[in-house]
Amino acid sequence: MKVIACYNIKGGVGKTASAVNLSYLSAREGHSTLVWDLDPQGASSFYFRVKPKVKGGARGLFKRKRELDDAIKATDYDQLDLIPADFSYRNLDLTLEQLRKSTTRLRKLIKPMKSDYDYLFLDCPPNISLVSENVFQAADVVLVPTIPTTLSIRTLYQLLRFCDKRSYRHLKIMPFFSMVDRRKILHRGMVEDPPKTKSGFLANDIPYASEVEQMGVKRAPLAAYAHSSHIADAYRSLWKEVKSRMDGVPA
Amino acid sequence: MPKSLHYPLANRDSLPRWRKQLLQRLPFEPVSAETYQVHYYDSFDWRLFRANKVLQWKQRNDESLLCLHSTAIEGPRTVMPLDGQPSGFASALPPGQIREELDGLLGLRALLPVVTTEIRSLPFHWIDKEGKTRLRVFLDHHKLIDADGNRRTLGKEIRVVPLQGYAKTAKRVTSVLEEELGLSPADGDLISQALAGADATPGGYSSKLDIPLDPQMRADEAMRRVLLTLLEAMEVNEAGTIANLDTEFLHDFRVAVRRTRSALGQMKTVFSPATLARFRDKFAWLGAITGPTRDLDVYLLKFEGYQNQLPETLRADLEPLRAFLVRHHEEEQAKLARELQTARYRQLKKQWRRYLTAPLPRRPAAADARKTIGEVAPQRTWRMYKRVLREGRAITEQSPADDLHELRKSCKKLRYLMEFFHRLYPAKKIRALIKELKGLQENLGDFQDLDVQIHKLKEFSEQMKQEGDMTPRTALAMESLLMGLETRMQEVRAVFDSRFRRFSCKSNEKHFRRLFHPSQV
Repeated sequence: MKVIACYNIKGGVGKTASAVNLSYLSAREGHSTLVWDLDPQGASSFYFRVKPKVKGGARGLFKRKRELDDAIKATDYDQLDLIPADFSYRNLDLTLEQLRKSTTRLRKLIKPMKSDYDYLFLDCPPNISLVSENVFQAADVVLVPTIPTTLSIRTLYQLLRFCDKRSYRHLKIMPFFSMVDRRKILHRGMVEDPPKTKSGFLANDIPYASEVEQMGVKRAPLAAYAHSSHIADAYRSLWKEVKSRMDGVPA
Repeated sequence: MPKSLHYPLANRDSLPRWRKQLLQRLPFEPVSAETYQVHYYDSFDWRLFRANKVLQWKQRNDESLLCLHSTAIEGPRTVMPLDGQPSGFASALPPGQIREELDGLLGLRALLPVVTTEIRSLPFHWIDKEGKTRLRVFLDHHKLIDADGNRRTLGKEIRVVPLQGYAKTAKRVTSVLEEELGLSPADGDLISQALAGADATPGGYSSKLDIPLDPQMRADEAMRRVLLTLLEAMEVNEAGTIANLDTEFLHDFRVAVRRTRSALGQMKTVFSPATLARFRDKFAWLGAITGPTRDLDVYLLKFEGYQNQLPETLRADLEPLRAFLVRHHEEEQAKLARELQTARYRQLKKQWRRYLTAPLPRRPAAADARKTIGEVAPQRTWRMYKRVLREGRAITEQSPADDLHELRKSCKKLRYLMEFFHRLYPAKKIRALIKELKGLQENLGDFQDLDVQIHKLKEFSEQMKQEGDMTPRTALAMESLLMGLETRMQEVRAVFDSRFRRFSCKSNEKHFRRLFHPSQV
């Protein structure tokens, strides 16, 4: 099982849209796929129409009082399951802090599921905290949707520095440009000549599109209702690139 | 993942009526009806079925899926999108988990269509107020499509597909179906029904011999039963051999021919001399016409192995040999297909079958025909065992390859005798002795294979020169290949001594004697 975290310190950059759309594509290819909505706002649970509620809450799961399996809900799509968000995730930091080996708890929790799923997508809350550290310990890939603006790039540098200091050797960090508006000079310039970072940027970006906002109305992955749209294509190309990068081949 | 539940309905039940019943009792939303086909595949010798696997290809709406799942539980399954029907070998599929798994299961065998069903399905969804589906129910009408495209009802059922995390909804639905509507779930194995309907017997073909015999049977009757089984094995593999679906049809066909010839030779005291004279030549002919294609099959199967033996820089230089093999294989295969459709071959089968099914003669000319098989079979087997020991003991380090070949043939004859009549002996004991023999046969087989390959490759090399396919680089690659094979042959030859010593040891001899020559124990 490959663990892919959709993560950014900033909010509103397209983390949930990536998690929902990429996991859907993965499932359509026949891979058994799970999404874990770790964000207490519960946006991906909302998109999949699943109640943002986990029995026993975060404490129940992380203190192993409840089985993780029991929290899994099938979505409306074949091969695609979800662990919904819960409002108690807002205190996940506190819950984790009370436990020993607090940075590897998530990794340990998902370990038994390795044979059940091909891909696990983590839809992460925006911030940089103990939860993020757990995510970095558990993930193989961190996908960082980044809006091509100065502040966004700043948070990306913050993230890279953070990971550098802790030297997560196993981790592949893959930033890509998200919500790109090519009418804007700043966006265009930055996408064409991306700032130099150690991780580089993925070649495919996700343009700004009203179809993405429609996801909130349709409550479904893009490819399920706008299969042949330009933006659905963009996610397909992105997914292809992510997969080939995971296997170590540049697309 | 929760299991789907199947509630069988009577064939005469009206689905619209059931639909009305369901909608009255449960808050379902009907979804538009759909009709789709499911095609099932397996190898000719049912390798997937034996591994408890089912491979199906579904076309539904605008998507086509290939799905491999286990028959035992409706659980683990692998799915992938596949536009065209799967055909031929697993290696022709797009890369992925299914291909890997099938490759391991199928080996040399091709995927063949087994049966096609058509399902007319009325789906219902239980949708909560968030718009989320909590459970799906299908009213399914399964039909079998035969080779002529005719449809026949296989069965009707209500299929309940619960979703992970929504157990309460599932419970509510099943309790209505079971308590209010009086239905009871079955294992829903419509696949085996479909197979039965299509006259396909899963696991019905195996190249292993298992012939039920009674020791008190007349020897000629028992032999006819053995030979009839072998004739059937030939006939079953005939169509696949002619169409060249995979190499194993011809292989199994040839094995049946060889076993038949061996039976005629080894049990000759059971048949009248006239019968022997009549059929021996006919089967020799059948062996001869199937030989060249099988030889080329073997070289083509070994080709990648050959390439891997060479240093990487030489591998590409071997390609002209492959082209040569493929071309000649096509010619030989076409010739073989023609031969198997001639009157000569049809006559052979007809006459042979007529002989095998004719009433037993009351006063047979053959000396042993009226003895019991329980008496004759061990005698013949013991004789052959002693011959193997004699020939094997005569082999020294200086013996020519021909001596080993002779021994190999004797071992094969011994093996066939043990397999034809294995039901006459205690299963465990005969199995153990066959295993001992196999160890020796493997060594002799490898030696013979390598010897033949070396000769054949030299011959091919000459032929390629004549046909203008030879380049100096290819000649060099083949030279290097031959050197490798010769080294390997010496290694195999060096092991013979220890293998034979093991086979001919006192304890094995004791067991052979007990089974086949009890009067002297």
